[in-house]
Amino acid sequence: MAETLSPLDTVLRAGRYANTAAKIGVTLSEVSPGSIVQVAAWPDTEAKVLEGIAKTTKLKLGGEPGAGAVSGNVAAFGIAPGRFLVISEDEGLADRLLGAIPATVGSVTDLSHGRTAIRIEGEKAEWLLAKFFAVDFSKAKFPVGRGVSTNHHDVFAQIQRRTENCFEVYVFRSFARSFWKALCHGAEENGYEVR
Amino acid sequence: MSAIRIASGGRIDRSRAINFRFDGQAYTGHPGDTLASALLANGVTLFGRSFKYHRPRGLLTAGVDEPNALVTVLRDSVREPNVPATTVELYEGLVAESQNRFPSLQFDVSAVNQFAGKFIGAGFYYKTFMGPEFGPLKGTRFWMLCEHFIRRAAGLGRAGLAPDKSRYQRMNAFCDVLVVGSGPAGLSAAAAAADQGANVMLAEIDSRFGGSANWSGETIDGTPASAWASEAVAQLAKRSNVRMLNRTSVWGYYDTNTIAALERVTDHKPMGASGEPRHRHWNIRAGSVVLATGAFERPIVFPGNDRPGVMLASGAMRYANEFGVRTGERIAIFTNNDTAYGAALALKRTGASIVAIVDVRRDASEKARHAASECSAELLTGYAVTATRGGKMLDGIEVQPFDGQRVSGAARKIDADCLLVSGGWSPAIHLASQAGSRPVWDETLQAFLPPQPTENWVGAGAFNGAFQTADAIAEGHAAGLAATGGTNARKLTPPMVEGFAGEPNPAPVFEIKGKGKGKAFVDFQHDVTADDVRLAYTEGFTSAEHLKRYTTLGMATDQGKTSNVPGMAIMAEATGKPIPEVGSTRFRPPFAPVSVGSLAAERFGDLKPERLTPMHDWHLEHGATMYSAGLWFRPMIYGAKGETVEQAYVREAKVVREGVGIVDVSTLGKIAVQGPDAGEFLDRVYTNMFSTLPVGKARYGLMLREDGFAFDDGTTWRLGETEFLMTTTTANAGKVMQQLEYFLDVVWPDLRVHVTSVTDQWAGAAIAGPLSRKVLEACVQGTKVDNDALPFMGIVHGTIDGVNVMICRLSFSGELAYEVYCGANEGTRVWEALMAAGKPFAIVPYGLEALGTLRIEKGHVTGAEIDGRTTARDLHLDWMLSKKKPFIGSAMMDREGLVDENRLQLVGIVPLDNRPINGGAHIVEQLHEDHPMNSIGHVTAMCYSPALGKYIALALVKGGKARRGTRAYVSDPLRKRFGPVEIVSHHFFDPDGSRMHG
Repeated sequence: MAETLSPLDTVLRAGRYANTAAKIGVTLSEVSPGSIVQVAAWPDTEAKVLEGIAKTTKLKLGGEPGAGAVSGNVAAFGIAPGRFLVISEDEGLADRLLGAIPATVGSVTDLSHGRTAIRIEGEKAEWLLAKFFAVDFSKAKFPVGRGVSTNHHDVFAQIQRRTENCFEVYVFRSFARSFWKALCHGAEENGYEVR
Repeated sequence: MSAIRIASGGRIDRSRAINFRFDGQAYTGHPGDTLASALLANGVTLFGRSFKYHRPRGLLTAGVDEPNALVTVLRDSVREPNVPATTVELYEGLVAESQNRFPSLQFDVSAVNQFAGKFIGAGFYYKTFMGPEFGPLKGTRFWMLCEHFIRRAAGLGRAGLAPDKSRYQRMNAFCDVLVVGSGPAGLSAAAAAADQGANVMLAEIDSRFGGSANWSGETIDGTPASAWASEAVAQLAKRSNVRMLNRTSVWGYYDTNTIAALERVTDHKPMGASGEPRHRHWNIRAGSVVLATGAFERPIVFPGNDRPGVMLASGAMRYANEFGVRTGERIAIFTNNDTAYGAALALKRTGASIVAIVDVRRDASEKARHAASECSAELLTGYAVTATRGGKMLDGIEVQPFDGQRVSGAARKIDADCLLVSGGWSPAIHLASQAGSRPVWDETLQAFLPPQPTENWVGAGAFNGAFQTADAIAEGHAAGLAATGGTNARKLTPPMVEGFAGEPNPAPVFEIKGKGKGKAFVDFQHDVTADDVRLAYTEGFTSAEHLKRYTTLGMATDQGKTSNVPGMAIMAEATGKPIPEVGSTRFRPPFAPVSVGSLAAERFGDLKPERLTPMHDWHLEHGATMYSAGLWFRPMIYGAKGETVEQAYVREAKVVREGVGIVDVSTLGKIAVQGPDAGEFLDRVYTNMFSTLPVGKARYGLMLREDGFAFDDGTTWRLGETEFLMTTTTANAGKVMQQLEYFLDVVWPDLRVHVTSVTDQWAGAAIAGPLSRKVLEACVQGTKVDNDALPFMGIVHGTIDGVNVMICRLSFSGELAYEVYCGANEGTRVWEALMAAGKPFAIVPYGLEALGTLRIEKGHVTGAEIDGRTTARDLHLDWMLSKKKPFIGSAMMDREGLVDENRLQLVGIVPLDNRPINGGAHIVEQLHEDHPMNSIGHVTAMCYSPALGKYIALALVKGGKARRGTRAYVSDPLRKRFGPVEIVSHHFFDPDGSRMHG
């Protein structure tokens, strides 16, 4: 991939901000996966699509809403009935998925440029997300790997829990700067670090 | 009333002092104090002036139910009016002032209003000021004259004009069980639910958890109740499945257990921490709710019952036990139930003298008699207080024998500086009432009890009528279990509760009609008297809802917490009906005042996030003036120094016609349409055919709504046998996406098609102008771009500066033009490469104004013409309506009204005076500047055309096609623009399209 420009380049400045007197509540950073790909099944081909994802990424997803998995440099989760978002640190995932999922089985849509991935990590990650999304992010209801499609007003977001205190949020690239500013603003009371 | 701070007891930290000011006077209090308790401890008894009569008022309660002691809190330059002093926590530097008085609280000139009492009773302004004619003041004119003075004379606090710079935040929360109230019942419920493993939230309106345990003076299992509560709270705080929110009022109960709560985060601090919000609005989705909200004591209505020094017994007890404040030296009690005897004991322990206990009942219970004896108080059973004495402070009461209905005999005077009243208890059923059912009258308690739940809630404690602490704990435990559906919790060992706990069951006495003078207030906050209630009855306003609206009983910030039941009782007596037949108003949110800031929270900015194209920063760096197009920001012009907007866009458009220009088209909606049935699907949603479109070609498409009107247009590119890239107008991208999803999900679920928004995946740049091909030839690698390799509507793939690009030859400007798409993160890189390649050809970036100019010259339509009211035929797009296939809208587009030749049709307009005309200006056949009439259409877009050297416009005109070549007038009275115009074809420039095909 040629040199790219993130919508956050001009606003993302490493450092500690706001209520730094308190223990830093969250760390915000941009992650730049090589591939963000949507895979969608036809009504009767979901199992085959999951097979295709597993064949390509070694990730085994359950069929229940929001089910997801994280392993090594790949992750995936359900974003809608029969639809999955597959993320990899490597480029070219869409082509590899296309090899495993022909049009008769489903569709593969490369969104690597269209989504910006923001990582929210720290003890107050759930607290910060609760300011924006009406989703129960508690560990019991939203375990590691689980994902959800939701929105904060006009900003559509897909969120996956990567570890106990780490979430990745995928937003439309055009909204990313606005959403980043809102996240930083929301994180001020707990103190936040940008990496 | 001579209140003082007692030496020990309560939650007050006497070792530390807090300085504060009230009405300009400096005072000190202690951590743990409220403004009310601190002022009381400083001997302040006058807290405010009443709403209408400006009568002096003191404290009635110690909590959120306080109707009298409303103050304005001043912080920085912000005024927050109408805050009960009983809920303001003291902090260093607090500044507050009393309200609704002039020039001072002690001397208020409007106090003269009380002498006009008979003339300004309930609804007086309806009768006195609305309707009568005074000279020239007819109709409502007289009211309009008086209204200003009436509003000034009456009212609550005054809001400030300074902007509130505080932060407010909104939180979402989910829990299995929400417990509202943290008294003994609430704490017990929370523990029981948590034991079951439930995810529990516990909300307490006060700063301190514990509710009545903080002031009951009881012991629980040998431990002071307040310490018992502290230990219970400490145990809950250790649990990972319990979230505890103090200073949080649960104020709204909505469908499916959606609960609204307000957390006061920094109101008690001199200054919040960095980024800390003042308030949080909590939106809580609870599996089940335990309502343990307790009960409010209510007053008895009797003449002079509002004099400072008269307060509720429970309030005085709370001041004594919780805040260490003795409310008077010589205290009298007036009650219709046993609970007030507990207050007498509590105050006696503070060193006060209990001069008399006046009980309307002929026989007091043995327990009550014993308590009276312990207080060394004279017990007057079968008596009632019929008057109070004093000025701005109570100095005595008058009592008379009372038979349960009326008083008799001579009045006896008793000196007292504080009168504690208890008229029974009203369970705080507000949230249950909001949840949907009518409350139920209980004869024993003489109170409304909660209804049968219609939502998933369980009640506990005094809320349910269980006033004894041991019962409340047991009910709380059961409620906590019921809320979780659990059964395996440890069995509750009934606690041993000791202390005076009088039965709350009152005698059914709500009002004492004394023979003495003096108003008897029902609603202290709105100055509604017992006579006002009877007046409402006399005038026919007998239902609870009418009574409320006619007298304003139960309105304002306290929402009638102390007044509703007495008001209903007086109305019941007047009508001769039992209280439940008079009914009760349905409680509505909010339970307690809510800051508007918390409702808006920080969403004011989030509601309109900025949507930026990949090249946004480049545009700014190169002098673009941006403007918003929906949420998007797009360049309007790239103005040179000293250029006007018109000069800039004319220059830019001219360059496109004569050389080459580049415009950011990333905002166009882009939808991936994928699947084996994608071609068939597009045939159905577009008016023209797409299934026959070869791979590597694009086609202009038009969509109609189902009713046959034009919906949106754009080009769709076939990228593969089963893959199309649809483009839409910027404005309609979301609507088109929704429409496509609807068709696939609901109308044609059998089609194997997926649609996905890829608007943000692609950066788009349009290169337009006679030299555009040369620019591409200079920078594109991996493909040719000549007419053979890339014909009109052809698509090729190549690279620019090493970046993969997709190029489609299509034109919105009417010139030879190409749209270059690449991955959005590489958009700026490709854009800069195109600029560099175009430098030898003097390429310029152009903005939306030039883009609009070019399309107006060509007569291309946009959202200004596809406005939801025009058809394909109106816009001369009928050539796109396929006759070979049905499509969305085809069944309705030929309706008689839609094919009428006299419909508004797209035309070109040339102002004959060659002056600009504005969008929205009317087109008329005859010009009447003073009386504009008979519009035949309107202008949709205008510009100065550099290609034609004059101002031109597009318009929608009735029967426009037939009017071509005729003259009419522009009529724009709003902007005073009138003049002759010629109606022409909308194709102003290059009507045969030779330039873009060249």
